[in-house]
Amino acid sequence: MVLSTTVSQRKHIKRKAPRGFLKRVFKRQKPHLRLETSGDLLMHLNCLLFVHRLAEESRTNACENKCGIIKKEHVLAAAKVILKKSRASEPS
Amino acid sequence: MADSGSPDSEPTTRTLLRRVLDTADPSTPRRPRSARAGAQRALLETPSSRRLSSQTKTTARRRSQRIRSIGKLAHVQASGYLEEQTPRTLLKNILLTAPESSIVMPKSVVKPGPAPQVVQPSSRESSRGSLELQLPELEPPTTLAPGLLAPGRRKQRLRLSVFQEGMDKGLPLSQEPRGNADASSLTSSLNLTFATPLQPQSVQRPGLARRPPTRRAVDVGAFLQDLRDTSLALAPPGESLTAPVATLPKDTVLEDTQPFSQPLVGRSPSVHHSLPCPSHSGAEDAERAVSHRTRSTGPRLQNNSPGKPAQLLAGKAEVDALAMDFPNTSSSIFGEVGVEPLQDGVGGEAEERTEKSLSMSKVKEAARAQGSARAQEPEGHTQVTEAEGSQGAIETKEPEGSSGDCPTSSRRVSPELASSTPEFLQAKRIQGLEPAPPPNTAVLPSEPLEPLSARLPPRARTPGPKTCQNPYKTGLSHYAKLFGFYAKMPMEKKALEMVEKCLDKYFQHLCDDLEMFAAHAGRKTVRPEDLELLMRRQGLVTDQVSLHVLVERHLPLEYRQLLIPCAFSGNSVFPAQ
Repeated sequence: MVLSTTVSQRKHIKRKAPRGFLKRVFKRQKPHLRLETSGDLLMHLNCLLFVHRLAEESRTNACENKCGIIKKEHVLAAAKVILKKSRASEPS
Repeated sequence: MADSGSPDSEPTTRTLLRRVLDTADPSTPRRPRSARAGAQRALLETPSSRRLSSQTKTTARRRSQRIRSIGKLAHVQASGYLEEQTPRTLLKNILLTAPESSIVMPKSVVKPGPAPQVVQPSSRESSRGSLELQLPELEPPTTLAPGLLAPGRRKQRLRLSVFQEGMDKGLPLSQEPRGNADASSLTSSLNLTFATPLQPQSVQRPGLARRPPTRRAVDVGAFLQDLRDTSLALAPPGESLTAPVATLPKDTVLEDTQPFSQPLVGRSPSVHHSLPCPSHSGAEDAERAVSHRTRSTGPRLQNNSPGKPAQLLAGKAEVDALAMDFPNTSSSIFGEVGVEPLQDGVGGEAEERTEKSLSMSKVKEAARAQGSARAQEPEGHTQVTEAEGSQGAIETKEPEGSSGDCPTSSRRVSPELASSTPEFLQAKRIQGLEPAPPPNTAVLPSEPLEPLSARLPPRARTPGPKTCQNPYKTGLSHYAKLFGFYAKMPMEKKALEMVEKCLDKYFQHLCDDLEMFAAHAGRKTVRPEDLELLMRRQGLVTDQVSLHVLVERHLPLEYRQLLIPCAFSGNSVFPAQ
């Protein structure tokens, strides 16, 4: 029952975009709108960049705390910053 | 006990050997047997004296320890000093230099009586050691035997001498440990060589070995407590105690038991034994007494009067009930409490033992009792009698187990308890401060529920927040994995969950923004321009870094072909622009 609470760094990831998932998400959020072709790909790109920034930020947070492991708090702190940055609706 | 005895002896043996070696040469021929016994006693007394407050108990325990340990000690000493000091040269050197220090050593020893004896045995051992040093390690036990005729005789003789010496020295020895209560007393008494090696071993080893069983016992105790508490709460209103208190204590008791149960049950007795501090123990005792009286059914009162076993049972019940009942009942019952605490202190040791031995039986009983208690809670006081009956049965069973187990288990537990006591006290204080008004029904079921709840919430969380559940969850997890890739560091699983939450939020914002852009452009279709604008606003796309650059950087070729217009043969541009 010694379940490791840490997730090791991934060496391989799928580069394939979950296009169906993205379309579904958008459709569920905004059923009255339609997403043009390749819009989901841009969503995927945007999401990738968001995750990238979030990871970088949380990584720096963890390093600042001299933690070898990214903890929940680090992600939380990073999310606060990055979510605000990635918000376009309310400028400045 | 054998384990505890041997480890204690190991370090001490070294020191003893050193002393012996130092003092040995002058006194070698005189008393072989008594001297050994004295040395062993010195070793044995230190642990026993610490833990046991009463001399009578100490002596009895010493006897048992000596019996067990003596045989081992003989081997341990023989083998120990050969093996441990395997640099036999050290022994030889010590022996060579011994006569110089021999005069000094007896003075240095705090205890006048044992010291000379120790010296005498040591002398023999040292002489043997000098002879044995040349021999292989395996032989030492055999070599020792011829000197003392037979091992069996040895032990017996040693016992007698040990007993006598113990009786003589028991008073001064016992007094010393009392003052400090904890292991520190030993250090003070045995400043020279004993103190440092003995304490860590005695404290650490028993703690490591015993903790798992104690926790189990604690759980059982918690069950019992819950049962008793419920019965108490139900019973007292009818009997003597205040009615309003009874209702509240149920909740409080049940709550308290859950967090505290493991540490409290096992540790509470230790507080009485080891820690003299009057204030806390007195309060605890008072609490116990209160609990007894609140319960104050026929059987328990009787139990208190007859003797220790009954007290033990009552003590357990009291301990369990203590935290719960204290604030409520203590004020009313305090006067009565004063007498009982003493008994509880005696019984505390026994309680621990009984808990261990009877843990299995108690669990079963507790399960039954819980069932009854649950039924009782909603219905009211009427069913109290049933609960009491079950408690009585439990109590009767407990004393039997306790009687057999008492001598062996009690010693080891005490040091651990002593160490843990402050936490326990704090916990009680906290309990007293927090009346904890959770619902009555939750109390008994809460123990089983807590572990379940801990397990369940994650399960519930995963499907809960998202309507799409599985597909949505998997999609988020996909991006969470990407997070793990980009982070380039190991991360907690909780952090991954956090990332998924963030992604959830992110998608909401994303869709809202896209909707806003499309609405602003007077469209109902989200076009790539909207996304580009969004990324521009996010700072991802700048004048230096165009969207196409990002696409080339982050997306595989197949997607790039879909996004970046490119000329193909036939004068065609694939992504039509």
